Amino acid sequence: MGYVFQGLALNIVQALLLLAFAPLIAGVINKVKAFLQKRQGASVLQEYFDLAKWWKKPTILTPYTSIIFVVAPAVYFITSFLAASMLPGFLAGQISISDAFIFVYILALGRFFMCLSSMDAATAFGGMGGSREVYVSVLVEPAVMLAILINSLRYHSTTLSGMVIDYDGAYFTVSAALACVAFFLVILAENSRLPVDNPDTHLELTMIHEGMTLEYSGPLLTLIHLGSMLKVMVFLTLFGALYLPLAVPLAVKILFGAVLIGLVEILNNKMRLFKVRVYMGAAIVLLLLAIIAE
Amino acid sequence: MQQVVSSEELLAAALQVYEQGKHPLTAMFGRDETLNGAGYAIYCCFEVPEKRDVHIVKGVFSAEGPLSYESLTHAIPAAAWYEREIHDMFGLVPEGHPDLRPLVLHESFPEDFHPLRKSVAVNAKVRGERKFKIRTAKGQGLFQVPVGPIHAGIIEPGHFRFSQAGEAMLQLDAKLFFTHRGIEKAVEGKTPEEALHIVERICGACSVANTWSFCQAVEKAAGVAVPRRAEIIRTLLSELERITNHVGDLGNMPAGVGFNPAISLGSRLKEQLMRLCEAVAGNRFLRGVIVPGGVRQDITPELIEHIHEVMDATAQGVEDLAAMFREQENFQNRVRTTGIIRNQTAKDLAMVGIGARASGYAHDSRKDFAYGVYPELGFEPYTMTMGDVAARLLVRIGELSASFEMMDKLLDMLRNCHGMELKVELTSGKGEGWGICESARGSNFQYVALDNEGRIDRLFVRSASYPNWPALTIAVQGDIIPDFPLINKSFELCYACIDR
Repeated sequence: MGYVFQGLALNIVQALLLLAFAPLIAGVINKVKAFLQKRQGASVLQEYFDLAKWWKKPTILTPYTSIIFVVAPAVYFITSFLAASMLPGFLAGQISISDAFIFVYILALGRFFMCLSSMDAATAFGGMGGSREVYVSVLVEPAVMLAILINSLRYHSTTLSGMVIDYDGAYFTVSAALACVAFFLVILAENSRLPVDNPDTHLELTMIHEGMTLEYSGPLLTLIHLGSMLKVMVFLTLFGALYLPLAVPLAVKILFGAVLIGLVEILNNKMRLFKVRVYMGAAIVLLLLAIIAE
Repeated sequence: MQQVVSSEELLAAALQVYEQGKHPLTAMFGRDETLNGAGYAIYCCFEVPEKRDVHIVKGVFSAEGPLSYESLTHAIPAAAWYEREIHDMFGLVPEGHPDLRPLVLHESFPEDFHPLRKSVAVNAKVRGERKFKIRTAKGQGLFQVPVGPIHAGIIEPGHFRFSQAGEAMLQLDAKLFFTHRGIEKAVEGKTPEEALHIVERICGACSVANTWSFCQAVEKAAGVAVPRRAEIIRTLLSELERITNHVGDLGNMPAGVGFNPAISLGSRLKEQLMRLCEAVAGNRFLRGVIVPGGVRQDITPELIEHIHEVMDATAQGVEDLAAMFREQENFQNRVRTTGIIRNQTAKDLAMVGIGARASGYAHDSRKDFAYGVYPELGFEPYTMTMGDVAARLLVRIGELSASFEMMDKLLDMLRNCHGMELKVELTSGKGEGWGICESARGSNFQYVALDNEGRIDRLFVRSASYPNWPALTIAVQGDIIPDFPLINKSFELCYACIDR
């Protein structure tokens, strides 16, 4: 029994570690983007200061919102945190609670609550953001499932830890290369980055994820932002652990993924909303090819 | 030329000059002449490019007769806003107008308050409960999206009401004129020199165009010609203002689609240009140089070389920016076929500037009215036919290269111009005149009437954004709402220009 508790504790330690570094990775992405625009940019630590600032601010609730509005950010954050604890362990001795399907749908639960809350305040921008988020997630979900299926086929396991590629032996197969590219496209769509969504915009009419958060302030807003940053971290970790066929330490892989996101965001502009299905279609085709190659 | 008719004959006379759109309605405004022993009057100004003239049809109302006339809007769609404004400002009723909601005066004004009547004091305090009904589409599953008047960016106030079927925009109604400043009222009784400081500050983006058209009007009223060196300097400032605005707009359009490197390059180039403006005029908005009768300061030989250098660097930067737009397939996909204005729409609304020229309507005051030294520069308007966001982008790029060429010629003309006279004195006295100047957004029209002491009796300002705002609500139809910011930025319409 003792080792179960010890394993669970390690899972939580792992999630806390990812949480602690999530704002740093967000800062790195912003710095890369600034650098590529020949701007000096904010410090890589800026996201920590921002989170602290939002935390200190009061929460303003409109009288028209229900309990959903308050609960949703907490659910969103907790689901991100759970997902982080389910990642294939980089600390020895964790227990495996990490079935891939549970992982995917725990994240979906968080998103579901955010979509609910976006409609709760009954503002036009929130509702539009929520409906677009559902549209994007409907397209993203099959891609994520396919990406997981590739690894299940290869390792005959549906647990995330069972799928982890051998860190030491880099392997280059056609299937791995295709899956790597496709999963990166999925990361961008899943985390509301360019070219699917624009995390930096102030134009409410174009927003997807940001549109849902417009009515939030104070600690609730902090939770949403922290949850989003953690989600990026979770996907980058998964990308590094499962899909990036390079024989380097995981931390380097995560950093590499962050730089890649910054680079892609500079090279791209936002696509037409209805073109997202073409974009996700491309990712799905790549994954299907990868499965055939496997 | 001016043609005076009675208010009953206004429609017939106007239609005769209009000739089914051959001579576009450039402006329409009212005037209160009750203090001069006459009644109210409505001026309809039609452009007659072949004569380089504006044909003004003046419809006068008899002092005792009814304050209503037959609306022009059914025959001349461009008259719609002007008639609403005259209705607000003077209380002259266009019979049969399809949409006679208030335009300028919102809910906080009383029903029967008409500020441009001479009987209303300039500092009159009023409070009212006027109705303003925003237009919406109704039906099952349709919903509305209200945006503004306070926006997320630091811009001026305007309320947009979208009637939506999902993401598709069915209808857009724009409620503007939130910060009406009463400029036309405030300058009454001032000398042109005093009024200049106010006219110059109507808008930050086209202060040269506003000042120059005001000065043209005043000079026409006084009947003086401007020294050649002043004309060259005015033309140069006008092109410098156009280049600054076009570069700023080009850098602003990619912000609608999150194309970050282009935004950065655009803002860097614009900052260089605004610093150049500061070196030329002593301020970043080119204010204080153009005055009635000429210009106040010269451009020194050192400054000529400095302008030359910055123009070369800017031309290179614009080339880079254009290449960025060209090579980014994803960007091309966003701008093509988005926000289309058809050629006939542009003509019906008497659109001006970029919006008109991108729809194949070659309207450009620099060519049509050949003011300043433009006739010597061999200028031709740059047009595209698609009428979409891409066309408006490309027209800006095309005009920029034309402007760079003209700048070269203008700098040469300045180097070789031996006359050093900058300004002539104006005689003050009764008179009236109009001025027209092509700003970065299109033609700015102004009309000035001076009383016996040479003080302003009526100033009318019609900036380029005025006829183009209604076009925006047409351009968005059939597009989806996340494309609205991009379409809006492609017109880059000004709130201050209409909040005069």
